[in-house]
Amino acid sequence: MLHLLKVDLKKLFNYRTFWIICGLYFLTLGMATASGMEFLKWLANTFKDFGSKLNIDRIPLYHFPDVWQNLTWGSGLLKLMLAIMVIISITNEYQYRTIRQNIIDGMSREQFILSKVFTNLLLSISSMVLVFFVALFTGFIYSPEISFSYMFTGAEFCLSYFLELFAFLSFALMLGILIQRSGLSIVLLFSSYLIETIIKTNIDDYFPSIVPFFPLQSIMNLVPLPFAKYAFQEIQDYVSLTAVAIALGWTFLSTISPIYD
Amino acid sequence: METVLSISQLTKTFGRITAVNKLDLEVKRGQVFGFLGPNGSGKTTTLGMLMGVVNPTAGNFSWFGKPVTHGTRKKIGAVLEHPIFYPYLSGQKNLELTALIKGAPHHHIAHVLEAVELTSRKDDKYKTYSLGMKQRLAIASALLNDPIVLILDEPTNGLDPMGIAEIRNIIKKIAADGKTIILASHLLDEVQKVCSHFAVLRRGTLMHCGAVDDVGKGEEIVEVAAYHDDLALVLQEFSGTLSQKKENSNYLIRLKEGFNSQDLNRFLFDKGIIAAHLLTQKKSLEKQFLEILEEPDHAIKK
Ligand SMILES: Nc1ncnc2c1ncn2[C@@H]1O[C@H](COP(=O)(O)OP(=O)(O)O)[C@@H](O)[C@H]1O
Ligand SMILES: [Mg+2]
Repeated sequence: MLHLLKVDLKKLFNYRTFWIICGLYFLTLGMATASGMEFLKWLANTFKDFGSKLNIDRIPLYHFPDVWQNLTWGSGLLKLMLAIMVIISITNEYQYRTIRQNIIDGMSREQFILSKVFTNLLLSISSMVLVFFVALFTGFIYSPEISFSYMFTGAEFCLSYFLELFAFLSFALMLGILIQRSGLSIVLLFSSYLIETIIKTNIDDYFPSIVPFFPLQSIMNLVPLPFAKYAFQEIQDYVSLTAVAIALGWTFLSTISPIYD
Repeated sequence: METVLSISQLTKTFGRITAVNKLDLEVKRGQVFGFLGPNGSGKTTTLGMLMGVVNPTAGNFSWFGKPVTHGTRKKIGAVLEHPIFYPYLSGQKNLELTALIKGAPHHHIAHVLEAVELTSRKDDKYKTYSLGMKQRLAIASALLNDPIVLILDEPTNGLDPMGIAEIRNIIKKIAADGKTIILASHLLDEVQKVCSHFAVLRRGTLMHCGAVDDVGKGEEIVEVAAYHDDLALVLQEFSGTLSQKKENSNYLIRLKEGFNSQDLNRFLFDKGIIAAHLLTQKKSLEKQFLEILEEPDHAIKK
């Protein structure tokens, strides 16, 4: 397993595009998650009525335990960057025909795809670890009082954030394998949201119960939008095991299907 | 001798095209095996099946007398059709990657780079290489794991005469080390120059299989000229003459089996005739190749 990961990383570590996209991604991820409060302050200073309507100090963006869901939800938006990297990495193998040579050199098709899956795992785990520590530190800085009894309540959102990334990257990988061209795969990745939304809205009136089973919907349900609660609305502030099961199912399918297509 | 590769009834169809048709073939250890056939005759498709990148329609094959797994391929070094590498990686990094996949020791890299004379350019990106350098890097990569068999598919395709000579020298050097080599080519001359055995393929069908040295056996033709008025008559008397023909000022004598040019020379000398010109023509592979390809479809020789 470690060997397959090493093979794929060897291809990426000397690839400039990889460093540019991943560098930008992790930089943005770290900065954006850590500077949410500064951003709110800036909003308050720039737009006078924003500050008067809303007392930003009252928004517990970084307070334990809210910080876990808030940060993991926000971080989830950036996963598109990683997905594009994943698509470039796999479609390159088809464009350069290096997948063929890898197989001639003695890899099986399963091993080849697994090597990409392990890179996806590594990217997802790294993102999760980064977000975990940012949440931990900002929680310490901004929380008015720290109590170990509830500090880690909701930290399990880190795990479902990890699954959100991994499931989405698996989906991107599958698209890349099936389509084999980077441009088309990326366009399809974007439009799959649109396509799914169209199907969902048409089906919603008749079979609302199957909506959570859609692949992208299941990924979105892993870390539900938290901010509505600051407008005193009901939100889901726990990890739904049903959502986890559905997302795991899709991840499994998108990994297995290209191996045995 | 130990059988390295054994193919039986191997077939591949693409829609209505039969690219490879019920192919039977054996390659023994130490052979330099030429796989000869015009473009589109199914050489690359056959090698693709042997290397697990083309699914056979029917038939089977075995490497080293055992059923094939992906691990088998690590003991074979192969370049099919074109060199394939990561363009953004240097030659060195590309080889490091291949070594990682094949489980080849790291110190082999410097060794194979040296063997194909690429050491000085190893840190340049692959995409900056000339075609000849790409072909050489491909051979280096195929040699990485000290393979039992080396498969080369048109390794001199598109090269200039100097590049061709370089590649052929490399192949000869490798063959001299006793490695088994399978060389696909549409160039007769290439097969004749480097191979010990060869098979001829036409439209996916095996037309001939044998040793290069056996080509033209029993078909020796001697060109003779001498200053003698009745040379034609004298030559007719020679017991080794099968047939004779005049071509310009020379006589072409087709010899019976068991006779050679020395016998003819001695015979003439005994008759008091000194040959002014004596030349043995072996039937060239080219002639035989063309004859094989002109045979009707059903005449499959083994
Ligand atoms: N992927 C493919 N799809 C359809 N036809 C193919 C494919 N690959 C090869 N062929 C056909 O099979 C035949 C043999 O091709 P190939 O094995 O490349 O010949 P060679 O290597 O001897 O030049 C040709 O007619 C070629 O057009
Ligand atoms: Mg070919």
